[in-house]
Amino acid sequence: MTVISLTRGGAADAAGAPPPRRRRGRIALARIGGGLAVLVPIVFLSSFITYCLGALSNSNPAATILGQDAATPAAVARFDKALGLDHPLLVQYWNWLVQAVHGNLGRSYFTQIPVSQSISQRLPVDLSIAILAVILAVLIGGTAGPVAAIRRGGWFDRGVTAVCSVVSTLPAFVVGIILVVLFAVSVHAFPANGYSGPSSGIPQWLQHIFLPSLALSLQVASDIARQLRTSLVQVLEQNYIVGAKVRGLPYRRILVRHALRNATGPALVTLGYDFPQMLAGAVAAEAVFSLPGVGQLLLESAETRDIPVVQGLLLVISTFVIVVNLVINTTLNWLYRADEVGT
Amino acid sequence: MSGRRPVIGPGSILRLPSARIAVGVLVVIAILTVFGSTLAPQNPLAINANALFQGPSAHHLLGTDYLGRDVLSRLMAGTRLSVLTALEAVGIGLVLGAIPGIATVFMGRWFDFAVNRVSDALMTFPYIFFVVAVTAALGNGLVQAMFPVGILLAPAFFRVTRAATLEHARAQYVEAAELLGGSKLHVIRVHVLRKVLPNIVVTTAAMAAAALLTVSFLTFLGIGVQPPTPTWGGILSSDLDYLSQAPWAPFIPGALIAITVGALNALADAVRDRSGAGTLVLAPLIHFDPSLERADGDRQSQSVA
Repeated sequence: MTVISLTRGGAADAAGAPPPRRRRGRIALARIGGGLAVLVPIVFLSSFITYCLGALSNSNPAATILGQDAATPAAVARFDKALGLDHPLLVQYWNWLVQAVHGNLGRSYFTQIPVSQSISQRLPVDLSIAILAVILAVLIGGTAGPVAAIRRGGWFDRGVTAVCSVVSTLPAFVVGIILVVLFAVSVHAFPANGYSGPSSGIPQWLQHIFLPSLALSLQVASDIARQLRTSLVQVLEQNYIVGAKVRGLPYRRILVRHALRNATGPALVTLGYDFPQMLAGAVAAEAVFSLPGVGQLLLESAETRDIPVVQGLLLVISTFVIVVNLVINTTLNWLYRADEVGT
Repeated sequence: MSGRRPVIGPGSILRLPSARIAVGVLVVIAILTVFGSTLAPQNPLAINANALFQGPSAHHLLGTDYLGRDVLSRLMAGTRLSVLTALEAVGIGLVLGAIPGIATVFMGRWFDFAVNRVSDALMTFPYIFFVVAVTAALGNGLVQAMFPVGILLAPAFFRVTRAATLEHARAQYVEAAELLGGSKLHVIRVHVLRKVLPNIVVTTAAMAAAALLTVSFLTFLGIGVQPPTPTWGGILSSDLDYLSQAPWAPFIPGALIAITVGALNALADAVRDRSGAGTLVLAPLIHFDPSLERADGDRQSQSVA
């Protein structure tokens, strides 16, 4: 939804001479150790916050499930014991987490369906939308940004900048509605709502997820385009680009191997920021296109205060965000490591 | 290094045309927030079965909705709830984010590490999922719903404030002030706060835009409001149900949201340009390399420079 950016810290001199080879191994180890020191607390903290939501809710699950009449103190006590709710909060949390790691997120209070089952039923909808949206965003933003940077100041550049600033003010659900009006209600080119899985025909599946994905991807595409344009413009002014030109390397090769590789980092970081908001946007797309995804599950279970479902969903989603960011960070490390060794 | 930062006043920002337009829009929105329901030309709740789905006319400037209610009046009356709740979230985020952002720089490494991890953990939750989960736990209400939004906005404030504070806390005049016996509070108040303020202003404007989008989305999903109460998102949501009768209807609330968000973003950009509050460099959402934290993940600028 937003580009969150950081001010320039003042440590520009950190990139000194590369350390001798002997120390590199130790540095790599320290890096992995440091990474774990960051990752482990995040995983525990975010899952703890998730679990605490249930404790915060102050609702009495036993009374909710048994019903007002049957909820005698003895019955409630028996029930709490069966669910393990008579332990202290930290013990409850630990048991829940251990079970969750084994794939057991508990059962819904009301339907008794295992939470992991209802999540895994719904998740493919959002995953297919989100993945297609990332692909579209990278394709659109990854083309528009560099072309705008190369033709800086031209009509294409100005057009991209204008479109980006308009798109960045439009939330995914508004874009979705506009797309529905344009392509589904007026032209009937795409179905306005509903979902059909890939098992019942790939073309049909693509047709159903294309508009929601496009709605989701536009904002991310504009973020990527802007970020790529800015950093590519910066990179193209660097001495080593001029040097490469002077040495007579073909411009296309300079662009791809020298400039783009150095400019993709910030765009990747932007993608990392946008990913959680894309999942939120998938909820919007579900609402607009009435798709049976996790967002609807979340809204339904929030309404009935079905705490295990809500906790399970939040845990799965935040784990997703962490994993995607791990991948992005690894890619960034690889990009810049290759840089350090290569030059 | 980014050199000296002039302390800027509102005058120099307003010299930019984009900022003047943005401020103009925001003033109108502010007036609507305060007087919206009194200024509304008609009763926003009055149902008129004889005038359903009317297009814009002299009597109904923006047409009528599926119950024949005047859209302009509903939008004007809905402004207050939408804007005030967004401001509530930004206020919470500002307090919970900016204060620790300054404090962590001055309170030692362990505190710094711990607060950073909490901030990272919060960043792994997408707004909507977290907010809906909290309303499941705490009960359905827009004011309650904005509290978790504020909590999720806090990491952005935290990171920006912390990075800006770090930059100034290393300056020689801060060291000099400390050597001269100035207390930490004195240093923060006199030397740091003034310099960090433009960054906080930029973030506040940007986060207000984010909060407004989130409010609109929540009300669109029907969280926290009862149906007859007009809100921007709620109007959009009811328009969606009647697309075949009035396909143009959702564009009006959609445009209102977009214009307000655009104005906030433009204001943020203007302050950023004028104050130099960040030739902004992105750091990853989660730093998995704590050694970078002190240097604030400035890899991108290194590799480019």
